[in-house]
Amino acid sequence: MDFGFTEEQQEVQNLARKILTDQVTPERLAKYDEYQELRFDRSLWAQLAEAGLLGVAINEQYGGMGFGYTELALFIEETGRSIAPVPAISHLVSAALPIQKFGSEEQKECLLPAAVNGELLLTAALMEANNEDPAKPQLSRAVADGDGFILSGSKTCVPFAEQADRVLLSAATDKGVVVLLLDPRAQGVTLQPLKVSTYEPQYQVLLDNVVVAASDVLVNVEQGAAAMVWITERTIAALCAHQTGISDQSMRMTASYASERKQFGVPIATFQAVGHRAANCFIDVECLKLNTYQAISRLNSEIDATTEVMIAKIWAGDVGHRVSYASQHLHGGMGIDRDYPLWRYCLSARHNEMMLGSSASQLAALGQRIAAGEAFCS
Amino acid sequence: MKVEFTPEQAALRTELRAYFDKLMTPELQAESAETMGEGGGPLWMEALRQMGRDGWIGVGWDKELGGRGMSPIEQFIFVEEVMRAGYSFPFLTTEAVGPQLAAVGNAWQKKEIVPKILAGECLVGIGYSEAAAGTDLAALKTTAVKEGDEWVINGQKMWTSLVHFCDYVWLAVRTDPDAPKKHKGLSMFLVPTDDPGFSYTPVETLGGVRTNATYYDNIRLSEKHLVGELHGGWKLITGQLNSERLSLVNVGPTSQFFNAAVQWAQQTELPAGGKVIDQPWVQMNLAKIRAGVEALKLIVYKQAWAMTQGQLEMADASAAKVYGSEFFIEVYRLMGEIVGQASMINADSEHGQVLQARIERLYRTASIITFGGGANEIQRDIISAAGLWMPRASR
Repeated sequence: MDFGFTEEQQEVQNLARKILTDQVTPERLAKYDEYQELRFDRSLWAQLAEAGLLGVAINEQYGGMGFGYTELALFIEETGRSIAPVPAISHLVSAALPIQKFGSEEQKECLLPAAVNGELLLTAALMEANNEDPAKPQLSRAVADGDGFILSGSKTCVPFAEQADRVLLSAATDKGVVVLLLDPRAQGVTLQPLKVSTYEPQYQVLLDNVVVAASDVLVNVEQGAAAMVWITERTIAALCAHQTGISDQSMRMTASYASERKQFGVPIATFQAVGHRAANCFIDVECLKLNTYQAISRLNSEIDATTEVMIAKIWAGDVGHRVSYASQHLHGGMGIDRDYPLWRYCLSARHNEMMLGSSASQLAALGQRIAAGEAFCS
Repeated sequence: MKVEFTPEQAALRTELRAYFDKLMTPELQAESAETMGEGGGPLWMEALRQMGRDGWIGVGWDKELGGRGMSPIEQFIFVEEVMRAGYSFPFLTTEAVGPQLAAVGNAWQKKEIVPKILAGECLVGIGYSEAAAGTDLAALKTTAVKEGDEWVINGQKMWTSLVHFCDYVWLAVRTDPDAPKKHKGLSMFLVPTDDPGFSYTPVETLGGVRTNATYYDNIRLSEKHLVGELHGGWKLITGQLNSERLSLVNVGPTSQFFNAAVQWAQQTELPAGGKVIDQPWVQMNLAKIRAGVEALKLIVYKQAWAMTQGQLEMADASAAKVYGSEFFIEVYRLMGEIVGQASMINADSEHGQVLQARIERLYRTASIITFGGGANEIQRDIISAAGLWMPRASR
């Protein structure tokens, strides 16, 4: 039982925090508001690649740092703390990590070094309309075509689909779930841009008899569903880490603001009603952080973490919601003023809350596990 | 970072679970039920001494103090397991007073009292609150006045729990009435409960748990009963309270009770068919408890780990206390909802009890710790000041 960070982990945190604090300023973030520009800071991405952070959990033989999931998640937490305009989770966690885990040697050599140095962008299509379980695709079907597949159906809310070189997705076949690496420029793929409150580039991906070559099959029908569970749990834990960074930063911004903002001649922080709401945020953030770290630690050790990931996501949804609104409220008008940075944190927290299972849906799923006798306290 | 037990810690827990399965005989359980879970009966006393003889009470203590030399994490595992087993463990004595005596006590306290505490042969009650000094504890009026070589103690305390079977009271008194700040004039004494000047009257509470009002009438004590520095009592009070706050929100009993409730709901048939647990709202209530228990577990483990690093943060101890105490209340409500009206059938009932009527009793006792051990409002003040560096209004 060790809640401390190793030297390497602290180095990753400090390196990421240094680059992100320097580069992600409110002025730069403002460029992406209302989709004035594509919300992807490519020069920042290049710096992160230069620093080695895009390869933090990729083996050294593919150009990475060779650390584990824990270090990757700590990096993701920092991208949340700064709400960096980069596709860190979709590229690193939902796509590069599974390629390293499940890919053929050829796929790894072809994709990972370029993903690590930033030349190649990966993403994952984990959402279908009204279906939040990527291990059970309902709206995407694949039919075997030699060693490849013909793919039809649709995915939604796919981040960076147009900018990516490959989109990891799951599809149902007659024999089970298959995991494919889709070329979004292939014939039969239609990308419909969405407009969302975080201004993240997202797309509906329509698939009409798209030919996926054998070389782009990541996991075949025997192991596809299990691989998607593996990918989903790591993506959810990364969302929780991102949410931890966001919530911690929102709370600290709020504490500073309340310590300086004066009314009735005194800092508003000296009113117990204000201090106590901030204290509630402190407790909430601690609960989120610890449950997230536990999920991360177990995933890093490759031991069963299904219950722990669910619980972390329940906290990520609840804490993100509560801290976001408490921060806005204690800031008064400043919390919603677009010239002050807080509002972007609130929207990003909402994104993490809603993605891959809200608190309510995760509670229901956890309840089913409890009923099945799979989630007793140890 | 590795948020998992080491194999040795996991093995220790397994060993302790088997140990307490044996120790908690039906007779001891029956005696505990009679004393409303506060202990003090002859079998309870003997079981405590047994734990002492078997080296468990000081498992995480240094060897030179008579412990087994493991870390605070192993100490936590022990306390979690003893409380999980349903034994009313006197954690105020062993986890709060004991370590303070070991840290700042004089030769008599270290050589006589500490070993007895680790042997399960000495119990200490906490004497802080008074009728007019609760949350504003530093306003307390009980005094110790030096006369010759002796300290003469006079005053009254409230809520002195367990004192009817304790050997000493860990008593906060005013030794410097002229101190410019009232918390700078306090000192700590170990007052023997067999002194003729000591007396108490019982106070019955909503939960059926007994506590006491205690009276100190010209009790004359030698210097060896003073703990730590003269006028240095406040530091001991706050340090003790940090440890107490952690122990108050022990996760063991709730984990065990959650598991028992799940099994009950899995096995219990609904008259219209199916099992209690088949109902989606029951699953939802259980899931809320499960997610909350996990957070509490991690909060206390993190603090046990922080103690191994010598960096227990005041804000974290207060956060644990606020979260845990308010979560317990929520747990007993969510559990009560699952069982329905039968959750109010009490332990004296000859018929109809569900889950040994534990929800009925826990519901009545749960409110104690949102204000006991330092009111949650004060804890939230500490969190915003010490955890978030927010300025505080002067009081």
